[in-house]
Amino acid sequence: MSHRLPAPLGEVIDRSSAISFTWNGKKLQGFEGDTIASALLANGEHILGRSMKYHRSRGVLTADFWDPNTTVQVDDEPNVCASHRRLADGMAVSAQNVWPSLKFDVKAANGLVGRFLTAGFYYKTFMKPAKLWPAYEHVLAKFAPGGSVDLDTPHGRYDKRYAHPDVVVAGGGPSGMAAALAAAEAGSSVVLVEHEHQLGGHLLWGSDDDRAAANELAAACAAAGVEILTNSTVAGRYEDNWISISQRSHPGVIERLIKARAKTLVVAAGTIERPYVFQGNDLPGVMTSGAVQRLIRMYGVKPGTRAVVFTANESGDSAVEALQSAGISIARVVDARSGEGITSASGSKSRVKRVTLSDGTTVECDLLVTAVGWTTPTSLLNMAGDRPGDDADAARFFPAGPPDNVLATGGMVGDGSRDELIAHGRSTGKLAAGRAAVVRHRLQAATARAAAVDGPEPDYPADERAPLERARHPELYRSTTHGIVDYSEDVSSKDLFSAAGEGFDSVELIKRFTTATMGPSQGKLETVNTVAVLAEARNESIAEVGTTVWRPPYAPISLGALAGRINEPTRVSVLQPWHEANGATPILAGQWVRPEHYGDPAAEVRNTRTNVGIIDVTPLGKLDLQGPDVPKLLNLLYTNKWTALPIGGVRYGLMCAEDGVVLDDGVTARLGEEHYLMTTTSSGAAKIWNWIEMWLQTEHPDWQVHVTPVTTGLTSINIAGPNSRELLGRLTADIDLDPAAFPYMNVRRGTIAGVQNCITWRIGFTGELSYEIHVPSGHAVHVWEQLLEQGADLGVEAFGLEAQRIMRLEKGHFIVGQDTDGLSKAPVTGLNPLLKLDKDDWAGMPEVAWTMESGDHPVIVACQPDNGSVVPEEAAQILRSGTTEIVGRVTSSRMSPTLNRSICLAQVTKEFAAPGTSLEVLLVSGERITATVQEHHAHFDPEGARLRG
Amino acid sequence: MLLVPCPYCGPMNAADLSYNGESHRRPDPKTCTPEEWRSYLYLRENPSGWLLENWYCSSGCRRHFKIERHTLTGELRAPVLPGRKPGATQGDMK
Amino acid sequence: MVEITHLDASPDTRVPKASVRAADGTAAAATLGLNFASSEQRGDTLVVRIRPDEWYLLGDGAPAMADGLDLSGFASTVDISHSRTAVRLTGDRAADTLAKLGSADFSDHMTPNGAALGNGIAGVTCDIVRDDQRGVRSYLLLLDGSFITYFLGALHDAASEF
Repeated sequence: MSHRLPAPLGEVIDRSSAISFTWNGKKLQGFEGDTIASALLANGEHILGRSMKYHRSRGVLTADFWDPNTTVQVDDEPNVCASHRRLADGMAVSAQNVWPSLKFDVKAANGLVGRFLTAGFYYKTFMKPAKLWPAYEHVLAKFAPGGSVDLDTPHGRYDKRYAHPDVVVAGGGPSGMAAALAAAEAGSSVVLVEHEHQLGGHLLWGSDDDRAAANELAAACAAAGVEILTNSTVAGRYEDNWISISQRSHPGVIERLIKARAKTLVVAAGTIERPYVFQGNDLPGVMTSGAVQRLIRMYGVKPGTRAVVFTANESGDSAVEALQSAGISIARVVDARSGEGITSASGSKSRVKRVTLSDGTTVECDLLVTAVGWTTPTSLLNMAGDRPGDDADAARFFPAGPPDNVLATGGMVGDGSRDELIAHGRSTGKLAAGRAAVVRHRLQAATARAAAVDGPEPDYPADERAPLERARHPELYRSTTHGIVDYSEDVSSKDLFSAAGEGFDSVELIKRFTTATMGPSQGKLETVNTVAVLAEARNESIAEVGTTVWRPPYAPISLGALAGRINEPTRVSVLQPWHEANGATPILAGQWVRPEHYGDPAAEVRNTRTNVGIIDVTPLGKLDLQGPDVPKLLNLLYTNKWTALPIGGVRYGLMCAEDGVVLDDGVTARLGEEHYLMTTTSSGAAKIWNWIEMWLQTEHPDWQVHVTPVTTGLTSINIAGPNSRELLGRLTADIDLDPAAFPYMNVRRGTIAGVQNCITWRIGFTGELSYEIHVPSGHAVHVWEQLLEQGADLGVEAFGLEAQRIMRLEKGHFIVGQDTDGLSKAPVTGLNPLLKLDKDDWAGMPEVAWTMESGDHPVIVACQPDNGSVVPEEAAQILRSGTTEIVGRVTSSRMSPTLNRSICLAQVTKEFAAPGTSLEVLLVSGERITATVQEHHAHFDPEGARLRG
Repeated sequence: MLLVPCPYCGPMNAADLSYNGESHRRPDPKTCTPEEWRSYLYLRENPSGWLLENWYCSSGCRRHFKIERHTLTGELRAPVLPGRKPGATQGDMK
Repeated sequence: MVEITHLDASPDTRVPKASVRAADGTAAAATLGLNFASSEQRGDTLVVRIRPDEWYLLGDGAPAMADGLDLSGFASTVDISHSRTAVRLTGDRAADTLAKLGSADFSDHMTPNGAALGNGIAGVTCDIVRDDQRGVRSYLLLLDGSFITYFLGALHDAASEF
């Protein structure tokens, strides 16, 4: 490693543990503790990629989490920040956004035509002619930045966790650690989040004393029980301190999303060193003072051989010391505090070579270090509603007034020695703990299930912390030349001036037009310079120009973490194992997995209509209704009348929403004096339960009705076909199935196959003689098996959802949501006799009444394609013959095994609804066919003789 | 995510409840005009200021209640149970 | 270590369960008592006031207790033995397991032994009762039975790190 410095430099690397990796195919070595970037620099590889738009060579700028120039591909993972990611054995690292190679990048020709690629060029170029867009897209895609994604990559494990800490501390520098420790000592549960791989903040690249202090504080935090999350970020702060944390340090999990309800949030995010804007500021070899100190002291890496340092503060001075300790020659120290300055840097494509100072002199160098000031990363405070203000004397923004449950400390609020920062952190932690204790007390006192509180609510502590002083700092944003402002988006100060000149002169507009601050660091490195340049263009102050709005996430977060374990609940009936074992093809209907068919749905239809079939219809919504006022509820929800329903009777009902649109339908039975069982569509079960509770609680709290869902508790089996009565009769002794004793649309309770408390309905969705039995689910498998065993000689076969849908279509039974839609008011169904306008009140009645008055609504009709072998697609449009005017659509369509021809239900305007009308149907292929409106909705057995026998 | 003060359970994550929109009065279906009924269906005050809104504690106690919320500041007042009127400001959780 | 047991896994082990709805002031509410969101073991029946006006009776004595109630003044009962299924989660990491899947605060001061609440766990709405077993942290989860296959999978996945 040509650029590795000898020990004791390199605090975080382990020289006894060598690591092999490849860079663009070349084999290299590093040490345990290296980042990818520090290992590359140690090997003399100082160009890590090409910039997004102009494809300029780029090297390390900040050597930390926010480095904009070091985005690389690692194995199958794109867009990795090499200055943050730790090196691991066997890694294959390659440069992104280069073609054909890093050294010779054809796309760098962009640099030559740069003046045509100004900000927003894509809004102005590649527009005409429109027919060339596919070609433009094909070429431009090759120039798009970002790594490559391997679609065969195995899905890694990401997960999620909820937490309820008293205090969350964002930032593990001296102030953050001190705050966490003080809060823990005061009795709070504390989570400390730090984006680097170890705690310590700027102490890690400071003096020996600094590092020792950092280690001591970190150990004290651990000993005090602080939960320490390194390589993790606080991604966002939402209402009432709902906080998201992206954790990349949990074993066995690539990334974990923690959703925490914190009582107090402490923001100790420190400061971020700002780059300087000048011509040549993105040449490899130009880096910040922090980068130089980190590389030398933490990683033992030599960033150059001959340096110029432009310094305005102590960090620049410390960088000079670090360079000296590494034996790097210092060609010139340019001190802004004495009025000196730099105007530009130049070099070859691959390295800086020369710096021009503001007095005109030039200095040769291969390393240019800048220390021009700090940006306060206030984003989390902004998310909490604070609007930080610019302090021109200190040349940075400071918090104005976050809410009481968010406290800032450390570099965010001022400057000081290590001990001063720690003291401020401690007082902040103590305050955070005190306020958290009050919130904890309030939450506990207000929560019904919680333990009783201990004593009265503590006093809410006032903020009496001694503030940190703000050090004066010269305002250094842009020199006298133009340079790069946003490195990751390749936006220069010239681009900003010209955008402002074109009228994009508000900070929110210029951000979106130029994309400045829209890269991975989301403005942390770029916002202040962008605002400063805009202020120059507008001849205003930074405070007057203002900043853009900060939104979560604070730092990049992987989509896998947001997806988590992908817990998608699915439901099955207790008969599902039988279905699976017997060849059922599953279909997902809402949350339920159901059998669509067992191999041949047409055969299932024929068998059911000839012999007997059984189908598992458990997902059918079932609601147990009890109370003296149930008839009032039924009259309110359904369009028809329910007061006279006798015990043992069953009635069909249609429900509307308040706008008169069909909401649901089903049959409801009266099981006892004050006991009813309502059924709803499968997809409507939860919705109708909520609907009922809403009416009972908000409009009729005086009604005595209790509703309990029993959808899952009762396994529902429909036994249909000519042999259904015979079959059921073999399984029950205490239910009289004689048609006179048990007519159609009735319900009985009794014992089936030895199972008590079964409910038997005589209803008929399929149009066959049928009995629907509802069996307590724990015994349903037994009953199902008994049906199959006892019915073997009767030809009993299971049938699935598809066969059921065919049979109901043969009988013309509409399905809510299939044959009706979100605009179908009740009269569309043609069930006008059920729409009782003389009732006092029912949901949706006024709209239904007005619709019936006007008569202006479509209707459901049955129709049959004249060519019985053509099955139109569902949703095929129905047109006025020879035109493109839509007058309806096919809503259900199947080939009928019973009639051996295609059959449909459709919605059409009244004009086309008369039986015998010829309808013109437009198929998806573009062909038009004709179909004839039928007299009844039922294509088969319209009198219902089979049903009522 | 907002902490909603359910009057029975106590402070609950908003995701554990259903938000049922602005509170509005149902006209008499027998005597109202189409304008009045459609106003009930589709029109809302949407004030800049205090808004009385409907919440349903769907994962918890399953009770419906109302809360006054200030649409600019996010401040919440004490919850209102069905049949009762909004009450005085309650100390918040902040 | 986390122990996950599906109590209704077989007909022999199925837990009898009843739901009782009763408003304040009725005889049934007076008999069953308890503050909302709390529970109490009475003989072999765990009585849980799971909602302001709803009690769960869980255990072998549940059917008899439900049948013996005075339902006047408007109260009602429903046998939910087959509608709700019961899963028990026991062990010192049981709360941490729930914290992977549900947003409620399961710490001791917010959910002490005997506390009852509703919360979404892995996307399924559950009724949860903290019901420590011989001093070991334990939670009884009641959910719609049709979700059980999915739910056990999600629970085991969450518990796997402990």
